[in-house]
Formats: sequence, C-alpha cells, structure tokens
Amino acid sequence: MPDFKVEIRARLAEVGLSPVREAEIVEELSQHLEDEYERALSCGASEDEARQQVLEQLNTPDLLRRELKHVEPRGSEDPIALGTERKTNIFADLQQDLRYGLRTLAKNPAFTSIAIIALALAIGANSAIFSVVDAVLLRPLPFKNPNQLVMLWENAAHLGFPRDTPSPANFLDWQKQVTSFTGMAAMSERSFNLTGLGEPERLEGRRVSANLFELLGVTARLGRTFVPEDDKPGTHVVLLSHSLWQRRFGSDPGIIGRALTLNGESYTVIGVMPPFVQLPGFDNRNDQLWVPIAFPAEEAAEHGNHFLEVIARLKPGVTLKQARAEMDTIAARLEQEYPTYNTRRGAVVVPLHEQLVGEIRPALLILLGAVGFVLLIACANVANLLLARAAVRQKEIALRLALGASRSRLTRQFLTESVLLALFGAGLGLLLALAGIRVLRTFIPVTIAQVETITIDGTVLVFTLFVALVTGIAFGLVPAIQGSHFNLNNTLKGGGRDSGGGSKGNRIRSLLVIGEVAVSFVLLIGAGLLIKSFLHLRNLDPGFRSDHLLTMKVNLSEVKYPDRERRAAFFDEVMRHVHELPGVQSAAVAGNLPLTYNGDSMSISVEGVPDPPPGQQPDVIYRATGPGYFATMGIPIVRGRDFTDQDNGDSKDVVIISEKTARQFWPGQDPIGKRLKPGSSTSNSPWREVIGIVKDVRQNDFIASPKRQMYFTYRQLKNIAANALVVRTSIEPVSLAVPVRNAIWSVDKDQTVADIDTMDHIVAQAVARQRFSMLLLGLFAALALLLASIGIYGVMSYSVAQRTREIGIRIALGARRADVLQMTLKQALKLVGVGMILGLAAAFLLTRVLQTLLFGISATDPITFLGISLVLLAVAILASYIPALRATKVDPLVALRGQ
Amino acid sequence: MASPVPDRELKKGSAELMILSLLENRPRHGYEIAQLIELRSRGAIRFNVASLYPLLYRLEKRNWIRGRWVEKAGQRRRRYYRLTASGKNVLSKQRAGWREFVEAINLITGIQRA
Repeated sequence: MPDFKVEIRARLAEVGLSPVREAEIVEELSQHLEDEYERALSCGASEDEARQQVLEQLNTPDLLRRELKHVEPRGSEDPIALGTERKTNIFADLQQDLRYGLRTLAKNPAFTSIAIIALALAIGANSAIFSVVDAVLLRPLPFKNPNQLVMLWENAAHLGFPRDTPSPANFLDWQKQVTSFTGMAAMSERSFNLTGLGEPERLEGRRVSANLFELLGVTARLGRTFVPEDDKPGTHVVLLSHSLWQRRFGSDPGIIGRALTLNGESYTVIGVMPPFVQLPGFDNRNDQLWVPIAFPAEEAAEHGNHFLEVIARLKPGVTLKQARAEMDTIAARLEQEYPTYNTRRGAVVVPLHEQLVGEIRPALLILLGAVGFVLLIACANVANLLLARAAVRQKEIALRLALGASRSRLTRQFLTESVLLALFGAGLGLLLALAGIRVLRTFIPVTIAQVETITIDGTVLVFTLFVALVTGIAFGLVPAIQGSHFNLNNTLKGGGRDSGGGSKGNRIRSLLVIGEVAVSFVLLIGAGLLIKSFLHLRNLDPGFRSDHLLTMKVNLSEVKYPDRERRAAFFDEVMRHVHELPGVQSAAVAGNLPLTYNGDSMSISVEGVPDPPPGQQPDVIYRATGPGYFATMGIPIVRGRDFTDQDNGDSKDVVIISEKTARQFWPGQDPIGKRLKPGSSTSNSPWREVIGIVKDVRQNDFIASPKRQMYFTYRQLKNIAANALVVRTSIEPVSLAVPVRNAIWSVDKDQTVADIDTMDHIVAQAVARQRFSMLLLGLFAALALLLASIGIYGVMSYSVAQRTREIGIRIALGARRADVLQMTLKQALKLVGVGMILGLAAAFLLTRVLQTLLFGISATDPITFLGISLVLLAVAILASYIPALRATKVDPLVALRGQ
Repeated sequence: MASPVPDRELKKGSAELMILSLLENRPRHGYEIAQLIELRSRGAIRFNVASLYPLLYRLEKRNWIRGRWVEKAGQRRRRYYRLTASGKNVLSKQRAGWREFVEAINLITGIQRA
C-alpha cells in the first residue's frame, strides 16, 4: 500500500493548518485514497496503475489546496488558522486584518472609490462647518480668564432698546458705586483722519478707558498701554494696532514716541498691540488705533446721550447673579436720583462670550446639525454598499467559517475594513474641507467671525478623526454582523449569486434607504424654507431706490471744520463740483446712510402737547441731510417739500419727518406747519417747523420695521455733522468713484474719503447673514438629495438583479414591459413613500428650530412642504427609472439559466 | 441521447443537497458517500476527494452534519458523518426548493414544446 499520507501532506503544506487538524485531515483523506486504491486493484489495475489513478484525484492543479485555502485571496502568504481558537496576539490579528482589509478594498476599486467619495464629501463638510463652530463658538476669547468678563448695557426696553449703550454719566456712576467687579472700562467708537503721511486715510478706532487693556489682560507688544494719568482730556497719546503698524509704518521698531496727525491734532505713539487684538462690541470692528476716552467735563455729565460700550470683570467668587442683583440696585438708585433721564432704565449684565456669539449660535448649530444629517445619509449609502458586497462574498465567508474562523473574528475583520474606508474618506474629506474653508472665508459675513481664525487646527483634526471612527463603526457594524451570520436559507434557495443576504438583508437595505429619504426630506424642507424666507427678505421694500447709487463717508475733522458755517461751505463747494461731473443725475449730502448704522436718536417734544412724564419721552431717530437727499435716494416725499438752499442758519429752523412719526404725534392731523423740538419743551433748542413728510425707510436693519425718523438739513445743525455723500448716477456707479473723490480732494486735499460703496452692495450686505445660512443649507440639502438618489438607485438596481429570475418567469408567463416597469416603480415608490411620510413628520418637529432664521414665513409653510415633496418624488422616480428599465429588458431564458 | 454530463454549476448547487439526503437515514463516512453518489447517478456524478471533503467540513461547520471518529472492532478508526436536527430541517427546505425549480423549468420548456 503506497503511503498516500505523504502526498496529502505535501499538498496541505501551504494551507497552514495547525498540526492537530492537519493530522486529522491527512488521516481521513488517506483512508479514502486507500479505499480507492483497493477498488482500483479489484477492478484489475496493476499496482502502479492503481496508484496513478488514485493520485490523479489529487493532481487536479492545486484543487485541494485551493478548496481548503479558498478563504485567502490569491497570492496570500498568510496562513489560515484552521479550527483553532488560539488567543493570538491582538496586534498580529490587527495587522492581519489591516493588510487583508487594504487588499480587499484595492481589489474592488469601483466600490471603494464610490464609498470613499461619498464619505469624503460628508466628512469634509462636517469638518469645514466644525472649524467655523470651533473658531466662533468654542475657542476661548484671547483675554485673561475670559469667563469672568461681562458687558454692561442699559435696559431701555420701553423705548425699543433692551440693550442700550450706556451714557457717560451712568457709566461713571456705576463705576463709582459697584463692588462686584474688579474693574469697569468704557469704549466709544471713533474714526480718525490720518494725515501728513501721504494719502489721507480714515482709520477706525476707539476711545477707551485707561484700564481697559489691563482689565482684559492684554499687554503691548511694543511700548506700553495706557496708565490712569493718560485718561485726562488733552492727553494725546495713541496705541497702534499690529496690522496698522505693519501696513503703514513698515513695522518700524522706532515707532514709539513718534508723532502722528490725527483729526488735525498731534498724537504721540506710546505702544503697539499684539496681532489680532479685537475688542468686543456691537460688530466685529477692526480697530486700528486706540486713544484714552478722557471724558471732558460736559461729556462726563452727559446723561441723555447714550453711546458707550462697557466691559467689566467679575471679582473672583462673585457670581453673575450677584452682579446682576447689585446692578439692579444701583440702577434703581440712579432712577431716583435722575428721574428725567433714568426713569425705567435698568442695567443688563451679559457674559462676554454670550454677547459675542449669542446671535450667531443658533444658525451655526443648525448648520452643524444639517451637515450631521448629510453624514448619516452617506453612512446609510456606504452601509448599503457593504451589505451588497457581503452578499457577493458569501462563498468566501462560508469557507472561512468552515475552516475554523470564528464569527467574531470575521466581524472584526469587516469592521476593520469599514473603519479603513472611513479613515480614507476622512483624509480626502479634510483636503476638501481645506478648499471649502477657503471658499467659505470669502463669503462669511464679517459680523460672524474673524475669518483668519477659521482654520483646520488640532481640535478640528481630532474631531474629524473621531467622526471617522464613529462613522466607520456605524455603517460597518450592521453589514459586518449581517455578513458573518449570513442567512443560509436564502443562500440555498437559489445558490450563489442572488442570495444577497436574503430577506433580512433586504429588509435592512430597504430600511436604510427609507431613512435616507426621510433625512434628505428634512434637509430639503429646511433649505426650501430658508430660500423662500430669503427671497421674501430681498423683496422687501427698503423705502428707497438702491440702484445706481454711489455712497461714501466723508468725516470732517472737528479741528478743521469746527463750526456749521465752515462745514456748510465745504459741502456746498463739493456739491458744486460733483454736480458738474458727467453721469451724475443728482447728489446730496447725507448723514448715517440707511443700513449702515444703528441710528442715533433723541427725545423730542411736540408744540402744544404737554411733556410726557420722565422716562416716557418718545425717541426719534434723526439724520442730517442736505437738499436733494430724498430725490437722490428715491424716497418719495408724501406731503410738503424738501430742504432747499434757502433753509440755512438765517432762516427758520425746519425739520422733515417720516410717516410713522407723523402718525404718532399728529394722528389724524396735518403735521405741516406744526413744530417740534429736541429735548423737553423747556429746553434751549429751537422749535422746528415741519415742512415735509417722507415715506418710512428701513434704516437700521432690513428686518425690523422702520422706527420713527426725522431729518434735519446740515446747514441748520450746530452739533450734528453730516458725514456722507450720495450720488445717483446714470451710468455704473462705481465708475464715478474716483471722479467724486477727486472732486472732494479738489476742495480739501487732506479730507479722508472712506467706505466708497454702492447702495446695492450695502443692501446685499444687510442680508448677508441670511444669505450665508441659506446658501450653506441649500448646498447640504442638494448633497443629501444626491446621496439619497444614489441610495435609491443602488437599492433598486440590486433588487432588480435579485429578482431577475422572478421577472424572467413573469415575462415568460406573459407580462408586458409596461407591467414590469410598473411593478418595479411601485416597489421604489413604496420605499420613497414611507421615507417621505417619516420625513414629513420629522420635518414638522424639527423645522421649528429654524424659526429664528426665518422671516415672513412660518416653519410649517405648506407651500414649501408641498413643493419639496414634489421635487423629492420626481428625483426618486428618476433614480428608480433606470433600474426599472433594466428590469423590462430581462431575457427570461438568460434569467433562469444564468444563476 | 447519451446521459449528459451535468454542468459544473448545477453540480455545485446540488452537492449539499445530495450529501444531506444521503445521510438522512444513517451515518456514513466520506468514501461511502462518494461511492453512493457515483452508484446512484450511474456514474454521471463523481466527486473528487479534493472537492468532497472541504464540502463535508463546510457542512460540519454549519452544524448541519456532525462528524465523529468511530473505532469498530478489528478496523482502523474512521470518521462517520450524521445529519443533525438543523440539517434535517435544511434538507427538507432544500428538497422543496429544488422541486420548485425543476417544476419551473419544466413549465417553461413544456410550453415551448407545445
């Protein structure tokens, strides 16, 4: 009897079995071969012939080795542990899993690239949005112990200003009386005309209390910050910002001590601040320089003028609640002391972080949620892909199981593959995010964040890694478990190809697609609502015509133009030049252009009407304008007339009011000829006669309805300065920018001209925040829709392939193409229908969150819901159409034969 | 016409069914199974040692059959396979499935003839 064991052992060598198992197999197979040998002998073969015959069984090229080794892909060197449960090294296992996973992914480039791209898009979007959230919401403010910092406001809610800028007198009283804070500092916006250094430049800056920087914990880069001695009127020292120092003074280290001419006066540079120092305030101003606030005596006593921004630091151990209580007490005390000014004026304490991000937080969180939804959809898609693949890998799985791999090992293997996919997707996604952030930066509204700080930093990287891991496990878990517990019942029903994980697998895939449809529906509705709201906003009538309107700020220096006569002379001269320019239809002097400024207000009294009790004087927003302003701006004059050149310092004082003001103070009467004056009826200001009524204009922001407004002519104003020009052009407004500026410079070559802009652009900027939210949410919704359609397409394709036999039989039994099409589409629509219903329910609940961002429509606007439903339905039908068509083309014979 | 050599694909799909049904009534060892298949199919279907045993191991891993070394007096020990309870279950399902499939084929080919 030949020794067949040797032959068998030789062929098992490369399978890599454990000695025990190999011995068993060798014994069993050798017995079989020996029986074969005996039988061959008994059939008459010689010993040699019999031996040849038997060995032929083993000689089919590598068959034995292949069948036993079928688990490993071709060319693999890794031994398969056959029937062992050894507790091997976790790292060796992991390494093996990684290598195997990489190989498997590489062998299926189509599947791998689709999965990675879908993941990259979703993870990339998440990283990009998170980097914005990180920069704006999460990163601590660049001050010492920033959570101790608060901002203080006056509560004048009864006048429509729940957070009003404090007046100097109130600030100083607060500062004297309060004990909850280690210090309090005030800031006031100020612009400076820098002259004497080539081209005159207008610089934004602030007057600040001397202790401000110390309070914030910021020290100077060069030189020093302010000391208490600086905070006196007449001290002309200035701190430069880092960017100004670099840009205008070439980072000159000898800048300290140098003299600069600001607003016609000489200031000494005492220090340069570090880069990116930005003080909190109403908007994200980029201050270029700082001077001491140095209240002159009249200003310090100013109770009625509210324009400061106040920061304070809580004493250690003092809570916000305690500070608020104390401020309430102080405010009440001041109310008693100064009833004329402080009646019903409370105090508000707002943590600094809350102040800065409170408004933008909802929008950012909504965007983060939206992009999370997109990630969910991408996960569902990749999970579906993996499930389909697991079905195809049945044989491999079966053999591995047969040869002793444990289910948990297999599951771990599949999970490793998924996490690898997710990591690759995350890597590509980060690259996409980098590009995306660059684009985001260009159209993030400046009021939201300092765009330079939005980058992919360590926090974002950690976030991305975390998302990748969680994602990989999330979409990989179900296919992994599914795959390693494959349903044999259905494997057997048809053998081989169409046993895709069976009915349970099908159910899971259908559920995933239903989920995708539901989630994308929610996103689409959100985007639809935002788009509709935005369009609504844009269609609002601002009250003026913004087209063909060129604007610019012209701030006159108080030193050079200290009085009304000189200011009037300057503007008259400038107007004369501007009117001569070709392309100019009309031009006017203006003050505080609409939508660029919150608007200063003053209380007024009406002639013949007794003064209301203190604290109840009506506030009216005022503006300085010149003749021709309303015509240039396209604001209709409803009654009466415009200012003319004859309304000047020698004629009677006049005023033009808005319709709302007219309705409020002279209800049912004709205000023309009536009189009003600033302050109470006993104040020194002159009575002004109403000569005209104009339409209300949206001034401060686009969304709030216009407040009461009134207009003066600059020729009759002693203290309020006009500071802008508007020019209506017959040609492209920007083309007149240089000529108009030159016209101004021809009158005064040192006059700064700033913020040259078209009114159209200013209006667009006013809704920049809404546009930003809308565009991003729209982008995410579109991405979600794309991914969901791919999901629907995938599932339908798979289902058609699976039901090929059934379809073949139907067609053979007489079904028409149209019937098959209908059947397939019906199946698809069932899935989509359920998804849409779920999505509808979810949308009803979730869109409430959007309400803060919406304008003019409700979060459950039925037209939007209907429209989006139709869009989704159409896309879903489209996505299922191609597989449905393929179903109709099934050849019954091929279908039944080619399993 | 001569009895057709079964298509490799068909053989693969039906191999498990054959083995399970052969074990329905009593335990057998591998060589016995191979012999029976060849005998009952009148030589049309033959199983190579290299295909048979991996298949048996697979069925064993699925717990449809169970193998045991049995030492009978005077003989060397052999590995006998028997059907398990879940194996019996699977067998009847497979049988039904196969029957349906064959019926369907007959229906179609039957219609064409008519």
